[in-house]
Amino acid sequence: MADRAPAPAAQPRADAPETARLGFRLTLPAQILVLFISVFPLLMQLYISLTDWSPLSGVSWPHAWEYWNSFANYTDILGDGRLWSALWRTALVIAVCVPVEFLLGLALATLFVDDFPGKRVAYSVLIMPMMVVPAVAGYMFFMLFQSGGPVNDILSWFTPEPVTLAWLSDPTLALVAVMVADIWQWTPLMFLILLAGLVGVPDDQLKAAALLGASPWARFRTIVIPRMKTIIVIALSIRVIEAFKIFDTLYIMTGGGPGVATETISVYIYKITTQDLIWGYVAAIALFILVALSVAAVWAMKRMAK
Amino acid sequence: MTRSPVFEIFRYAAILVALAITLVPILWMVSMAFKPVAEWQASGAALTWVPLAPTLDNFRFLFGESGSDLIVALDRTAGKPILSSLLSASVGTLIAMSAGTAAAYGLSRFGSGANLPLALIQLRLFPPMAVMIPVMIMWAFLGLMDTWWGLALIYGIVTLPFAFWLMKTFFDDMPKEIEEAALVEGCSRLRVFTRVTLPMMAAPLAAASLFVFILNWSDYLIALLLTTREWVTIPVYMASLSSSMTGQLYGAKAALGLIAAVPPVILGVMIQKHLVRGLTFGALKQ
Repeated sequence: MADRAPAPAAQPRADAPETARLGFRLTLPAQILVLFISVFPLLMQLYISLTDWSPLSGVSWPHAWEYWNSFANYTDILGDGRLWSALWRTALVIAVCVPVEFLLGLALATLFVDDFPGKRVAYSVLIMPMMVVPAVAGYMFFMLFQSGGPVNDILSWFTPEPVTLAWLSDPTLALVAVMVADIWQWTPLMFLILLAGLVGVPDDQLKAAALLGASPWARFRTIVIPRMKTIIVIALSIRVIEAFKIFDTLYIMTGGGPGVATETISVYIYKITTQDLIWGYVAAIALFILVALSVAAVWAMKRMAK
Repeated sequence: MTRSPVFEIFRYAAILVALAITLVPILWMVSMAFKPVAEWQASGAALTWVPLAPTLDNFRFLFGESGSDLIVALDRTAGKPILSSLLSASVGTLIAMSAGTAAAYGLSRFGSGANLPLALIQLRLFPPMAVMIPVMIMWAFLGLMDTWWGLALIYGIVTLPFAFWLMKTFFDDMPKEIEEAALVEGCSRLRVFTRVTLPMMAAPLAAASLFVFILNWSDYLIALLLTTREWVTIPVYMASLSSSMTGQLYGAKAALGLIAAVPPVILGVMIQKHLVRGLTFGALKQ
């Protein structure tokens, strides 16, 4: 060890402080933007959430302490039936849409694994919905689901009597319509992710299994699914997270109505933010959801790690 | 693997059904955009799948020329909302891409800012609705309410996670040897980054920028909360379009929807290879 050459080590060492500083400087703008939008706003939100302050109260937010209400907002959350039903409805949308999108996406992806004439065109068309601006998709489905609109017209082809369902003004049908729009828009994402996974499953293993007499279902279960595990988890988590935030499409289609029939958590928060203007309470709900989401995310990650 | 003819027939049938379901909503909007008022659903007309008398009236109406006696001319045309969408989405993309690319390079090559990946995923995990109260207060305080630059700033922050993760996977995939060769030649680190690395990354940079632009262009909620009149974006303007004379203004809204939908769909098909990476934060490498 005594006769090691010092020369090769010296050059990087002299270089190190400069590159470390450069690395730090490069990440600085992103760090500032993240701090700007996370730490300070969250502290502000925590502060406001402990008061009855609203933008109409006549004082600016730093003086919100004048409206201190000692945690009343948080106890109000427990008794807020509209909030809990909005949360339940959001969970219902996730529970219906995500599995349907997953199964449809998986089925489509299976059809696209090997080549066939016209594959590229069909592929480009099938992934279009996820690029359509969600608010525009909302308006498209608003038109489609009118009582004299195309959906009823298509349904009428299969029934003796013309169908005249008032989709968007019926509480149950409105929720169905909203889910149809979500499935239309996001099945392509599932398709895209799962196809990327399926393409990565080695063909020779499947062929070997087929030669040994394994049925298609057995091959799928024992070779494809284990290989796809990570990708399936990623696809499902991404859709669950995004579906939880569902707003644009739904709000343009129904405005949360009729009544509160399609009011999800984002729609509810939007309405009390802009119509009722009780910002202290809104801040409390928002923090409550952030904490609940973080707990759920940590729990889910631990389960997945197992 | 070779398949049976029965499977091939089934495959084409299933794909045709999927294509039809995908296309009906889009084609219906295209059809509505070219229909004259008399063929709009809202005015009690019978349903027509293809415009019987195609017209550009709906588009003309959006830009201030009323093509029909039935519709009163708009007091505010679609020109400024389109400008607002373009400006805020482009500048937002510029902010996200500059900060994101620099940070991705810093982490990929020097290991600086290792806290960023998680912080940025968290930023994406939370519903924007849940942090909008402080943002609205801050934006009002900074005088950013109802301005396109205010929107651009928040878009830059909101899409930063995507810019960062996409660029980080691209940098991680790039061979280090080329940069090392330039370093040996005597270039400074910064010079290597601007003269060697960035030009080599031109194509991935373009793909990531288009991706971020689509995300910014698609926003509705943030613009709804942070703009009121002057700089509303296309989706907000579309939702507010209505008239006492014709109710919903179906055709005009469809025409505007078409204007909003065409750019992202074209850009999206162009960069479809990178969509999976982008939307999964690079967790999936294609």
